[in-house]
Amino acid sequence: MNHPSLRILSKAYIGKPVYSASLAVFRVVFGMMIFISTIRFWAKGWIDELYIQPQYFFHYYGFEWVQPMGQYTYALFALCGISALLFAAGLWYRLSAVLLFISFTYIELMDKTNYLNHYYFVSLVLFLMIWLPAHVNFSVDALRKPSLQNRFIPRWTIGSIRLMMGILYVFAGLAKLNSDWLVEAMPLRLWLPAQNDTPLIGSLFNHVWVAYLFSWFAVLYDLTIPFFLLNRRTRPYAYLTVVVFHVLTAILFPIGMFPYVMIVSALVFFDSADADRLLMKLKTWIASLPVALSDNVYSYKPVWYKSITMLFASFFALQLLLPWRYLLYDSELFWTEEGYRFSWRVMLMEKMGYAQFVVKDGVTGEKIAVNNNEFLTKNQEKMMATQSDFILQYAQILKAHYLKQGMQTPEVYATIYVGLNGRQSRLYADTSLNLANEKDGFKQKTWLMPFNDTIYGL
Amino acid sequence: MKKTLIFAIVAILVSVISFMSCKKEDKNDVATPSLDRAPMLVNYADNYVIPAYKAMVADLKSLETAANTFTTTPDNTTLTALRSAFEKAYTTWQKVDVVGFGPAEDVSLRMYMNTYPVTVTKVNSNITNGGYDLEQFGNKDAQGFPTIDYLLNGNTNTIDLFTTDAQATARKQYLQAVINKMLQNTEGVSNTWASYRGTFTSATGTDVNGSISKLVNAYVLYYERYVRAGKVGLPVGAMTGVAKPELTEAYYTPSLTNTLLQQAMTATIAFYEGKSFDGTSSGAGMKSYLQAIGTKDANGIAMADVITTKLKQAETRLKTLNTPMKDAVQSRRTEVLALYDEMQQCVPLLKVDMVSAFGISITYTDNDGD
Repeated sequence: MNHPSLRILSKAYIGKPVYSASLAVFRVVFGMMIFISTIRFWAKGWIDELYIQPQYFFHYYGFEWVQPMGQYTYALFALCGISALLFAAGLWYRLSAVLLFISFTYIELMDKTNYLNHYYFVSLVLFLMIWLPAHVNFSVDALRKPSLQNRFIPRWTIGSIRLMMGILYVFAGLAKLNSDWLVEAMPLRLWLPAQNDTPLIGSLFNHVWVAYLFSWFAVLYDLTIPFFLLNRRTRPYAYLTVVVFHVLTAILFPIGMFPYVMIVSALVFFDSADADRLLMKLKTWIASLPVALSDNVYSYKPVWYKSITMLFASFFALQLLLPWRYLLYDSELFWTEEGYRFSWRVMLMEKMGYAQFVVKDGVTGEKIAVNNNEFLTKNQEKMMATQSDFILQYAQILKAHYLKQGMQTPEVYATIYVGLNGRQSRLYADTSLNLANEKDGFKQKTWLMPFNDTIYGL
Repeated sequence: MKKTLIFAIVAILVSVISFMSCKKEDKNDVATPSLDRAPMLVNYADNYVIPAYKAMVADLKSLETAANTFTTTPDNTTLTALRSAFEKAYTTWQKVDVVGFGPAEDVSLRMYMNTYPVTVTKVNSNITNGGYDLEQFGNKDAQGFPTIDYLLNGNTNTIDLFTTDAQATARKQYLQAVINKMLQNTEGVSNTWASYRGTFTSATGTDVNGSISKLVNAYVLYYERYVRAGKVGLPVGAMTGVAKPELTEAYYTPSLTNTLLQQAMTATIAFYEGKSFDGTSSGAGMKSYLQAIGTKDANGIAMADVITTKLKQAETRLKTLNTPMKDAVQSRRTEVLALYDEMQQCVPLLKVDMVSAFGISITYTDNDGD
């Protein structure tokens, strides 16, 4: 910012002040997008289907206490939707940001069957937004309390959202640096022909070279797009690429809101002055809009400033480390998925499993073949059949069920076959092991069968 | 510009790699017409499904005629003719049952045609009390082939039951009602296919509404639950360790059971390979589509062939089993368990390897993924 009167002020903060309009506009579009997602989720009947109908839920380690609340789950979604609206409007901003973060995250924690990277991304961004001054411009709060209006904010505030985006993209790109993706063009080689009836471009997907082109382009895109978005000269082209890339993925794959989340979120990379000009333009049309005109720079109270800096520093340190935690396991990541989640591994593999459970009465030796659909939904069964932590939780569910049925010592055995990226399916877990005795946790799971193949790379 | 440079590098890399991969792969991997799903759907509809229902309707009409002749003059000759019509229709059903999707699924055709074991008490009380409604789902185990099997072969004195027995008239009526219901249901499905054909062949997508997804899901379900488990696994007690001979198909005609199972296994293979219903010709099917996708096992053998080999292994082993299943589950238990094991090995190949390669999914829940 070259505004002369700001020069002195800027020295008091890390980085230069930027127009607060950038964060305010982001608040509006991000909040509206969550609101629309909530409506969409509700309208599709997924609240009932995913959180009320199932008899059992798969919990994240340490979050077993997060449970769906029967019919009140609707109230939770209502809370999420309303706080998203308040958040977008900038009304009672801190409160609505906190409520939105809590309700959205609570929803995601209820059943890890529904884990999606972009939900995780939304939760993380909301967490950051709680601490950021996104309401000091273009908000109802700023209208009610004009003293709140600040045309400038410290640069690191909007910078932290950009950094989060950058982390997502770069790690998503790094995750693709493996032999399956680059050398075999897997899984796109399987996924693209399935879309060969797409109008106009469909017939292209019958060609293997197109799968290679898409795979390599996706790596390049993920690894470089944040930098092209940061650069003023390349930004317009980069944003156009963002739109085209994500719209294409939206057409090809059933990934719901993810493309739109990314298209909307990438707006934070635009120059904050652009957002300011936009708001000024709006102000010329509707004079009563609470658009900050003064040259004030929002400043945190020193004690808050210090705590938030510490908080953000630890937050990002954790974000930079989490995706590497898989290195602590001496196993093939794609096979065991130990350290797979929360690492921006998006649409990275074609994995499918088939799991057949048998419960044996430890006393009488009587065996019962389990019909998974009596316990799990199709979606839960699908997730359970390829992920070791789900398998153990399911074993516990079965054990508890048969204990209740009067069996004294139910033993749980499973025959599980898993296919990964076009490889022939093979046995996934030790069939002779009583899974009800295995404890879930972060320790390496020794009861998984070896992958017997190597995927090179990260 | 940096961007142009990077683009140029990528373009070169991509062309080199695609060139290399084209050279390395065999011809099945490059685009072939068999990646087109439309011809496959047309082949299934025109050369298998529609002829299948026509054949079923024809066989059920013959069965109806034979039953009418038998009920008019119940004697050993007419009974033998009726039994033979029954066995022919039941055998044909094995080839029809593999088509579990679309109109058949909508009316639960399989449940009405072939729910076994038959509940004998229900059949007898229906006969004695009359006033039954075969449309009722609760009556599904008191109709269809298993009920005819019981009526014709469940007792040693069949002729008496249809002549001198106090319930002879009611029993005749029941037999005719059961056959009539089967014919009605099958004709309904057959007629619906005339209009459903267009819907089916034009839904070329791979999402849950796509025909390939419905066809493959129904096919895998059929093989896993109704062939592998229903015909072998449950009677032999593969999971539980306890044989239950009373669960065998065609329980009252032990000589028929193995024939039915063989026919089902043959139909499973034929349907996978895109063969026509009469078996005389072959077209685009799951196998050729999988061949075109080109997944391979660790030894470089196409998965499309691995599946055929495995299915045929099970079929071959089945042919060596010449003791009726009902007895074999106890007297030749080891062999039946080995057969089950062969059949079981095909399940992950179909349910994981094929489904995964097709980019479809074994789920009816339409939710986001990532």
